[in-house]
Amino acid sequence: MIAKTCIKELKELMRDGRIRTAFLIVIVLLGVAIWISARQYQSINEQYQSAKTTERSVWDDQGEKNPHSAAHYGTYAFKPKYPLSLLDQGVDKYAGSSIFLEAHKRNEAQFSVAADQTGLARFGDLTPDFILLFIIPLFIILLGYNSFTKEREMGTLTLLKSLGVPSWKWALGKWLALFFPILAITALLFLLAGILLSNLQDFGVFNWTSLLMMFVVYIGYYVAFINIVLFISLKVKKSGIALVLSLSIWILACLVAPKAASNIAEAKHPYPTRQEFAANVLKDKQEGLDGHDPWSKESKLLEQKVLAEYGVDSIHKLPFNFDGYRMQKGEEHEAEVYLKHYNYLKEQFSEQSKVYKGLAMISPYLPTRFMSMAIAQTDYNTHWDFADAAETYRIATQKFLNDNFAQNSTYGEWSYRADADFWKQLPVFEYDPPELKTILAQNSSNLWILAIWLAISFSLLLLTTKNI
Amino acid sequence: MLRYNFIYELRLLLRSRWIQLLSLLLLLLFGFSVFNGMGKVEKRRDDIAAARKEVSASDQAMLKLLDSVERGLDVSVSPWTIPSSPMAVANYYPRVAAMDPQPMAFASTGQADLFTHYVKPTASGDDFSLNFTEMTSPVQLLFGSFDLAFVIVYLLPLLIIAFTYNILSSEKESGSLRLLASQPISIQKWVFHKLILRFFWLSLLVTVSLLLVFFIMGIDPLHWNAVFSLLGLTLCYMLFWFALAFLVNLLSNSSAKNAVSLLGLWVVFVLLVPSVLNQLGNTLYPMPPRTLMINEMRLQKAEATKQQDKILDNYLRDHPEYAINDSTQSRSFWHGYMASQKLVKEALAPIVGSYEEQLSKQQDWTRKMQWISPAIIAQESLNSLAGTSTQDYEAYRKQVVQFAELWRAHFMPFLFNNTLFTTNDHDALPQFQYQPLQQNGGIQAMSILLLMALVLLGLGFAMQSAPRQKGILSDQ
Repeated sequence: MIAKTCIKELKELMRDGRIRTAFLIVIVLLGVAIWISARQYQSINEQYQSAKTTERSVWDDQGEKNPHSAAHYGTYAFKPKYPLSLLDQGVDKYAGSSIFLEAHKRNEAQFSVAADQTGLARFGDLTPDFILLFIIPLFIILLGYNSFTKEREMGTLTLLKSLGVPSWKWALGKWLALFFPILAITALLFLLAGILLSNLQDFGVFNWTSLLMMFVVYIGYYVAFINIVLFISLKVKKSGIALVLSLSIWILACLVAPKAASNIAEAKHPYPTRQEFAANVLKDKQEGLDGHDPWSKESKLLEQKVLAEYGVDSIHKLPFNFDGYRMQKGEEHEAEVYLKHYNYLKEQFSEQSKVYKGLAMISPYLPTRFMSMAIAQTDYNTHWDFADAAETYRIATQKFLNDNFAQNSTYGEWSYRADADFWKQLPVFEYDPPELKTILAQNSSNLWILAIWLAISFSLLLLTTKNI
Repeated sequence: MLRYNFIYELRLLLRSRWIQLLSLLLLLLFGFSVFNGMGKVEKRRDDIAAARKEVSASDQAMLKLLDSVERGLDVSVSPWTIPSSPMAVANYYPRVAAMDPQPMAFASTGQADLFTHYVKPTASGDDFSLNFTEMTSPVQLLFGSFDLAFVIVYLLPLLIIAFTYNILSSEKESGSLRLLASQPISIQKWVFHKLILRFFWLSLLVTVSLLLVFFIMGIDPLHWNAVFSLLGLTLCYMLFWFALAFLVNLLSNSSAKNAVSLLGLWVVFVLLVPSVLNQLGNTLYPMPPRTLMINEMRLQKAEATKQQDKILDNYLRDHPEYAINDSTQSRSFWHGYMASQKLVKEALAPIVGSYEEQLSKQQDWTRKMQWISPAIIAQESLNSLAGTSTQDYEAYRKQVVQFAELWRAHFMPFLFNNTLFTTNDHDALPQFQYQPLQQNGGIQAMSILLLMALVLLGLGFAMQSAPRQKGILSDQ
């Protein structure tokens, strides 16, 4: 009976012209979206490679120079694009992709793509995640809104009941008839993406497990939607009303909840403005040691401490250049200040995340969105991770340069120049994004929320099927 | 007939509680969105005010320091920040270049969450190091904001669809269509009457609830022109969706089919067309990668640093007045820096210009293609009404860059004549005043939307005369 109902439903769906058209549109859109994303992915990766090598050669070829001048001259860290961004672009468009690494200052990632686009960009992009998150749930509604109401409207419900088959059996058949087409489209898309990605040159960290995990998340999202749509179709008497109700749920879950959540999160836990942030950092910096200022109180204190430590009476007698040493100490103080202020930002965001998770109770879209971005390594956490890695590298670079200055020159010798070959000794900036295991552990709460959605929607459906 | 229709329609709507439900929903949506928008505008105002206050406080400190220096007293600040040096003022005492919110800024977030509303250009930074993006969580940017424009552009059409999808089909489904057909009025006309009446009621509800929300939230002083533009735009946009519903109602006669078709159209106009157009715009006029600009800028700067002495010599040759007026002829780091900065800027002008050029090409493309989707027209005009469109922020950026130029130029004579900055020079410091873009009140947008609606209505009536194979009363 389950199989028969399923086949009959599928046949009926196939006969419907609207559904055939919609199916075709979804497939075409997906194809176009993947094609566009693959092209973008490739060109961005090429840009990344060339920017990285050019920047490194700029650094290597700076010639004889004082190490601290080189520190001010600085270098750039570029954020690579990860393979699964092909499926979910996440926040990549809104987060910058290059960080300037210089002395005394932690800079934020600059040049987000969105800032270089017109207002149209805010409507969204035709990317696979747009289709996966918005259009396929709509498609589910289109397929399933009248699954049960049509039986009522055509009067076949009585017939069905008179068959003596337990109602859950043909209800399951209907459920499967809705599930299979969705599973097929999604599987097709993911398979296509997987094949495309494994054929791309230097696909780096791409692995099929992440892709599979992402697939599972989306299937969970769709199952939740299928359950809701069928539940409404069971409860309501008229197809039109079932449709309008299902759509209201879609609007609420996919459009209203995320926007409302973002407003509430911002109102409750706002970020400082860029200028405020800079002013706060400056204030804290001034309270500590400034590496450039030998006359300040902190400099004098440091001087006394170091003199006592080495048992000499003048900084000229120290075995290293005190200028370089002070510069490094100042750098360490500044790094601490930045750490404090960036941790504050992170705290604000983790508070905001709680708001998002709270509203996930009315929207399965939210946990799916966050999970999908996280697995694709295009979420905010990955961005933080990259920015932190760049900062660690910046601090190490400063130490590398200041140490050279301190070791190879004497106090007051600002005319010291490091060899032209010296710059090549600086290790290259390498960044490894978090692995799938870490990502899943970080986002376990989102997975739980999604699981709760599944559990509740399934039990609702089961309970209603019992007393049709 | 219109009179009867009017009375019965009103009774029907009241009895089915549509009017009550819609009023509540509209009040809720408008209220929440305007509340959000007002919160953002208020924060923006406070931030700017705080920045201005900070500058005036630091100016007071500067004047005090200057006073001490002029009287020959010792000061306890780092030597390079003492404001008697003009470059110290130019770098450590910047002005606030702020973009004050427009009266309707609460209506649409537009690009306001992406870009910053005040910067403090200094002499040492260059124009492209001025970061105009705001410090926001990118998740917020991704989700967007629940603002009035969102309610109008995205949600109102959905309410209209729910309100109109079954006007004719419900009559058929309940069997009263045959009765109706016996009346001396054509079906088209009857549907038109019903729709116009529903449009009238919804317009009334929208207007009243919007004004009520504005009144309660205390949008004050009411900028009537802007409010009327907002209402006019909203009503024209609504009329478009009603006209679309009219056409769909006439074309097919099953409620569910109508709902699906109307929603399909909503998805196309509101979600698909904008993203496809954006994608096409980016493909046709691609932005050169910013990494390219970074590389180029680095190379130019490295080159300039190497030849700093030569550049300074050339600069002084071009500006003989500095050589004549300055008796000391002493040259510091800043002399070379400022001279070479100018050169770097000129060398990078073409590449920086190419971004602006591509952006304006993309904007032209959007403007040309926006008639494909009324949602784009509505959103863009609401943005420009609120002063939060891409163009507004572009104008602001340009004005700031100009101001930064002015700021630097102001200190050049001080620097190259080696004159000190004194208390008297404080009042002459350049100030920034943002000049908002001229608004056309969205007249053009309204006329395009009206024209679209009229075309759709005309199409509906034209079908009346066309011979139809299947009568509206036939069963299938």
